[in-house]
This record gives sequence, C-alpha cells and structure tokens, in this order.
Amino acid sequence: MGFGDLKSAAGLRVLNDFLADKSYIEGYVPSQADIAVFEAIAAPPPADLFHALRWYNHIKSYEKQKASLPGVKKALGKYGPADVEDTTGAATDSKDDDDIDLFGSDDEEESEEAKKLREERLAQYESKKSKKPAVIAKSSILLDVKPWDDETDMAKLEECVRSIQADGLVWGSSKLVPVGYGIKKLQIQCVVEDDKVGTDMLEERITAFEDYVQSMDVAAFNKI
Amino acid sequence: MAAAVRGAEELELLERLLGLPGGNKYGVQGERKVPVLQSNNGPGLTGLMTIAAHLVRQARKEQLLGSSAEEKAVVQQWLEYRVTRVNGGSSKEDTRTILKDLNVHLEDKVYLAGNIFTLADILMYYGLHHIMVDLTVQEKEKYLNVSRWFNHIQHYPGVRQHLSDVVFIKNRLYTNAH
Repeated sequence: MGFGDLKSAAGLRVLNDFLADKSYIEGYVPSQADIAVFEAIAAPPPADLFHALRWYNHIKSYEKQKASLPGVKKALGKYGPADVEDTTGAATDSKDDDDIDLFGSDDEEESEEAKKLREERLAQYESKKSKKPAVIAKSSILLDVKPWDDETDMAKLEECVRSIQADGLVWGSSKLVPVGYGIKKLQIQCVVEDDKVGTDMLEERITAFEDYVQSMDVAAFNKI
Repeated sequence: MAAAVRGAEELELLERLLGLPGGNKYGVQGERKVPVLQSNNGPGLTGLMTIAAHLVRQARKEQLLGSSAEEKAVVQQWLEYRVTRVNGGSSKEDTRTILKDLNVHLEDKVYLAGNIFTLADILMYYGLHHIMVDLTVQEKEKYLNVSRWFNHIQHYPGVRQHLSDVVFIKNRLYTNAH
C-alpha cells in the first residue's frame, strides 16, 4: 500500500483517485492517518486534483487539534490503495520518514542555534563540575568476621581488626553474635570513603590475621 | 420505491441523534403534510426547518447551525433547499437535478457547510435516504461526490439509526468517467 511518491505529481494523482469516494484516509473520522499523509505533502495539491485538495483543506482545518485526533501514525506505506507502493522521500534524501520516532529525539531537526546553546550549557556544566569539590562518597559497611573455633580470643580478634588503619576508614560499633557450638562471630561496623577504601582491601587486611580469623564476609553495604 | 423519511419520523430521528429525552408531540398539517410541533402552552411550531432549529437549540448544540456567519448562511441555504427542492420534487427529473446540484457543491467540501458537520447534513441525509437506496451502481458512481458524502454521513455516529445502510462498492467500475 501507499501513494507512490507523494511529493511528485503522480503520487498526488494516486491520492486524488483514492480520495474520490472517501472523506478521510481511514474510516469516517479524521485520524492520525490523515495527519501522517498530510504532513508528507509539502504544499496544497493543485486545483485540478480537487479530491485531494478538498481533503487537504479539510484536514488543514483540524491543524490545531491534530495531536488529539484518534489513532496511531503508521508508515505511509500502510495507507492508500493496495496496488501502489510508497516511495515518498526514497529518491530525495536519506530521511527515513517511515520510522515512528518514539522518543521524539530528532537530531536532524535540531537547529544550529539549539545545538550551540546545548554545547554552551555542556561546557558550563563541565567547568562547574571541575571547580566544585567533589562530594565524598561514603559507605557504611557491616562486616562479619568469623574466628577459627570457640577457643579463639574474640577480644584479641577485635583488637586486631580495629588496629587496621587506613586513610578514609573509621571503625564503628561492634558486637559478638553467636553462630552455634559456642562459637561467636564478630560483627563490626565501619564507614569508608569509597574512593580510598574498598572491601577487597579490608578483606585482605583482616584475613591477614591468620591466627584469629578464619573468614570475613560483608554482611551489609550501604551508600551514605 | 422506498418510503421517504418524512415529517414526524424525521424529527424523532433528529431528537434521538441530539440526545433529547423525546416526548414532543408532532402532527402534520395541510395537503403537503407540513410537520407541526404541538406544545402545551402557546401556538406550537410549524415547519421542518423551524422545528429542527428549535430542537438543536434545545439540545444546546448550536454548533450544528454553523459557527461563523458564513456557515450559518450556508446551513440555512441547504435546509431551505432540502425543504423546497428535495421535499417538493418527486419526478426522476427532479431527483437528477438535486443529485447534480449536490455533486457539484460537494466536489470541494467534506460536509455541506465545508469542514464541519451541521444540521444541513443531517436533514439532507434523511431527505435523500429514500433516493440513495434506489440508485443503481452506475448512478452512485456518476454522483461520486454525493455518494462519498452520503457514505460519510451514514457512518457518522448516531445519524443512521434504524435506517438501512446504503451500500457503496469500494472499487469503481468506470474509473475514466471523471
């Protein structure tokens, strides 16, 4: 289906014949089908194609309400007589007018001015960003440190863990949580600066106390 | 020949189309069966155009009488045409003249008054229904603009009601005739 090339006289003639016994492209009310075809036509059809001209003028009268007309715009090839193909725009340029632009981002139509403005804004934003002291991203981490057995000295273990010092690392409260068979694990809170301290580094340092620590897990990790 | 939609029946169709509660009593008067709207207080209204215009105002659908001064005049003109010519004529010759007139008028218009649906379209549709039903395929194609308009109006929501759907074939037989 289609009208051939709607920008050519032949295409308009197909449209004219198509509209001879119809008031609208589809059905009996103005719809997005009419708007789609209307927008594909550059100028009013010539007077001798009176069916097309009548339709054109009629649809033009709906211009203000065109967004509220029912239906969904389809490719031009979906309308019109069954035995004609749509070739509108195929020869003129590469603009794929068959696509429905769902996101309304039409880069081609971005005017020079808008582009300049956008670039200016971007540059402004970049410079602002570089000047402003970056917000320090911090995280609160809850660690589970498990001892080897029930004979491990938990006080000593905690002391070892708290002995780890690093830039951007602050230890918080801790408690002992029973796991079973008399074994307790150490649950300890710490606040770290994301850029400076990672969980990998913490794990490495804590498991380094091999005499006391069997393993270490991150129980909770919250961005502040 | 199909029975013409006349007088009281036509006004009842219009009432329903306008969404009026109904309950108006219609009668006919004189030899030409002019419709009369009887009312409890006052002398009542006489004549199709008068009553139809009254009903439209009652339903607060004034846009059906046209919005601009020009449209109002055109609506008036076609209502007059409807009453004097369509109701008056019954011979084959008259019918042909009416269809020819309309065909020329509708060539560059979607509705009788241009781009908006008006009372003129409604009453002309009711007035022409019995004529269109009897047209042959060739005639429908000869008066292509009328056919297109008629088909459009009969699909307009609420207009056709119980009247028969006039069938228009989709493929034209004589494409070179125009």
